[in-house]
Amino acid sequence: MVIAIQFIQPARNKNGQVIATDISKIYSLPQSVQATLKTACYDCHSNNTNYPWYTNIQPVGWMMARHIKEGKEELNLSEFGSYSERRQLSKLRSIENSIKDGSMPISSYTIIHKNARLTKEEKAQIIDWAKIIRDSLANKN
Amino acid sequence: MKYFFLITAIGITIFAACNSSNNTPSKAGSDSLQTKQETPAPEAKSTTPVKDILAGYIQLKNALAGDNGNDAATAGKTMVDAFQKFDKSALTADQKKVYEDVEDDAREHAEHIGKNAGNIPHQREHFDMLSKDMYELVKTFGAGQSLYKDSCPMYNDGKGATWLSEVKEISNPYLGKKMPTCGTVKEELK
Repeated sequence: MVIAIQFIQPARNKNGQVIATDISKIYSLPQSVQATLKTACYDCHSNNTNYPWYTNIQPVGWMMARHIKEGKEELNLSEFGSYSERRQLSKLRSIENSIKDGSMPISSYTIIHKNARLTKEEKAQIIDWAKIIRDSLANKN
Repeated sequence: MKYFFLITAIGITIFAACNSSNNTPSKAGSDSLQTKQETPAPEAKSTTPVKDILAGYIQLKNALAGDNGNDAATAGKTMVDAFQKFDKSALTADQKKVYEDVEDDAREHAEHIGKNAGNIPHQREHFDMLSKDMYELVKTFGAGQSLYKDSCPMYNDGKGATWLSEVKEISNPYLGKKMPTCGTVKEELK
């Protein structure tokens, strides 16, 4: 049984390129913020997941696939540019809130992905950055 | 053709209004007329197309003011339904654009509120963003009832937040029972 399920591999979330609607193409991202987003957010919130070896073991891979599906529905940083401005504003606000209250990155993810555990500084950088973008968006209207 | 109905409806309504006050004996004779005039009357009154969405929102606002996450979740789902049932066919191109822009965002907030019965702070975060969307909708389509835009200066670490209310008295959906009367009326909408 354990061996049998190993053959059922979920489809991979990996298109290998940064598309034009990616948040890094639309807004200026400080290097540090971009690095944090990549390590702590992109696995579930983009079209490019960085798969560690153990996701080849089922059912870990299945769980991960579900997380990614749900994560992308909520926020897809690869397609951020396709959201309306109103929605971008809301998403930025939610990014700030969830980083602030620690609900993201989700604990079931950080328990294994140690480098996705954010330091105080990393959190502050993301929150400040999101605020700046939000203000610039709000002023535009 | 549409105008013809509208004018007839208004005409009949006025006629009936004048009639009813002084002409009760002929009631039996005008019965058939009466039933006809009653159907178009609500349309002529032009309630807002966003009526159901707004009703869900008010329900949500009151649930949050009472610190009731379950009722808030129910109201959130009511709003999602109302968005789904909304008929866009009667809108002008401009109205449609506003509606679609707002709906895209607002529906997501309503969904989140619906899914987070056990997390009132999270519901309130989305309610804050949803309130801005609702203001936009009401500004575009009319409230169809008296409505007030209220502001709470304390929420969001002192950055403040707004909401819409059907009554003039303040009943704060962000701070709930802790500080029910915190806030002021900023604007009266019709």
